[in-house]
Amino acid sequence: MITVESLTRRYGAFTAVDDVSFVCQPGRVTGFLGPNGAGKTTTMRVMVGLTQPTSGRVTIGGHRYADIPNPGRHVGVLLDASAQHAGRTGREILTIGAETMGLPKSRVDEMLRMVSLDDREAKRRLKNYSLGMKQRLGIAHALLGDPSVLILDEPANGLDPAGIRWMRGLLKDYADRGGTVLLSSHLLHEVEQIADEMILIGRGRIVASGTKEQLLAGTETKAAHVTALDNDLLAKALQAKGVTVAAAGTGLRAECAPVEVGRVAAEQAIVLTDLRSAGGGLEDLFLSLTEDTQREAPAQTPSAPATAEGTAR
Amino acid sequence: MSATSASTANPRPLDLASTPQVPLTRLAKVEYRKALDTRAGRWFIAAILLLVVAVEVIYAFAAGDDQKNFQDFLQVPGAVLGYFLPIIAIMLVTSEASQRNGLVTFTLEPRRSRVVLAKFLAGLGLAVSVMVLGLVLAVLGTLFGIVTGGSPSWSLDTGIVVNAIVLANVIGVFVGFALAMLIMNTPAAIVGYFVYSFILPTAVGILRALSDGFDKIAPWIEFNTAQTPLISGDFSPTGEQWAQIATSGFIWLIVPLAIGIWRLLRIEFK
Repeated sequence: MITVESLTRRYGAFTAVDDVSFVCQPGRVTGFLGPNGAGKTTTMRVMVGLTQPTSGRVTIGGHRYADIPNPGRHVGVLLDASAQHAGRTGREILTIGAETMGLPKSRVDEMLRMVSLDDREAKRRLKNYSLGMKQRLGIAHALLGDPSVLILDEPANGLDPAGIRWMRGLLKDYADRGGTVLLSSHLLHEVEQIADEMILIGRGRIVASGTKEQLLAGTETKAAHVTALDNDLLAKALQAKGVTVAAAGTGLRAECAPVEVGRVAAEQAIVLTDLRSAGGGLEDLFLSLTEDTQREAPAQTPSAPATAEGTAR
Repeated sequence: MSATSASTANPRPLDLASTPQVPLTRLAKVEYRKALDTRAGRWFIAAILLLVVAVEVIYAFAAGDDQKNFQDFLQVPGAVLGYFLPIIAIMLVTSEASQRNGLVTFTLEPRRSRVVLAKFLAGLGLAVSVMVLGLVLAVLGTLFGIVTGGSPSWSLDTGIVVNAIVLANVIGVFVGFALAMLIMNTPAAIVGYFVYSFILPTAVGILRALSDGFDKIAPWIEFNTAQTPLISGDFSPTGEQWAQIATSGFIWLIVPLAIGIWRLLRIEFK
């Protein structure tokens, strides 16, 4: 498990990480979520001793990272998949890692197979790798030493949809076997589907944390998107209950909780083909919590994350 | 802030007993491998050796028949390696920053001083390997000299082996390390090295010719000038010359090396 205690890191007048505390439990995937520049990478760099904290500390399994002998055997780290010598082949990069950790050569083949890099790809130099291949190699490198803790910075970045699904399964499995996983992302949907627990960070400070349910408790959805076989009938029924309704796409947008729409539909025996809460729930929460830390003006936020999400998928 | 109960949470300590520290020899072996596993590294060393071969062949044709002794042929690799071995040391260090693999290197061994030591060992190991190959090429050169008309003497001065080849080259390798750690950028460190080894002694030479006073103090403060007795003449510096090597070496090797190590131990690898 990873314990972060009142961690602060300043660069001159700029505070990258501001009094951050959280715990990543074994057997769980912890998502570390925040906009770009929120302090996720700095926090992770402090965890593995690459950056010295201004104050506070991080322990992994009760030890400072720098005090762990042969740390690759305990903590798997992927901070930046491109941070490898561009002239080395994928296989060579893993071989160097395995040799440093004192692992047999066969482990390299095992890892290559696990991340589905074939022989030909493993012989290519890193500069000829796509970002997705680099990520796979980086994940293989992090898992080389069969660690019990994983620290991954934006591991899904550059993976295709199949790759993201693969990684999700891999990390779930890993946590189910008792491993501790911390992964960061600036994309909510990536983390939402994989993380048991979420830490939301904005401008260096933790703005919320907990399970998805805990985070959503207290925020109620006040609008729903609904499509019925007979939209007009549903609209009238909702309006009769005093709900404001507007046409939206192929269906309607109702300014009430989804459960209200369902109740009205059931009472009037209207067949619904689609009903969901308008606004992402978590996404709205995420945006509102990090609002003052966003680079974009709040008015523009709805479109900004949507495109970011679109390109990542 | 977050719902953290760090003090009360079960620490679930990692069992560190199962993994001893990575031995220094293994780190050094990995660093040795890293110097040779890229095209840049391999071709650089191959190019040095090819250059030695070329110069040996030219020397065998150009030199007078009475100057084709083993010792003469041995000076060829000695001189060529002297210029290029430090660059191997530079690349060994600067690639960690410019290729950014320092992120991985210093994550797998967070005790950076051990990585520095491993790099020194690997650099020395590489220098020795290349010197041994240089020695072999010198033997072949001498044999080739017989073909071109020489009747060589195979005797060797200990001075040339210990001072001109081993000591001068080891000093060069560590100057390379010092510059690399100070500058932490491959091209800049190589330029810095050539300024140090070519431009600086030339400038000092001009100043010495102009000023008698400077002529006297130059060997005490300029490391290249001080090392001249190591690599020329009878390869045996006098007591005073050793003192000059020590004082100028303190300025140009010990101090930069100390600052360089200090910097490498603290720098943030991004």
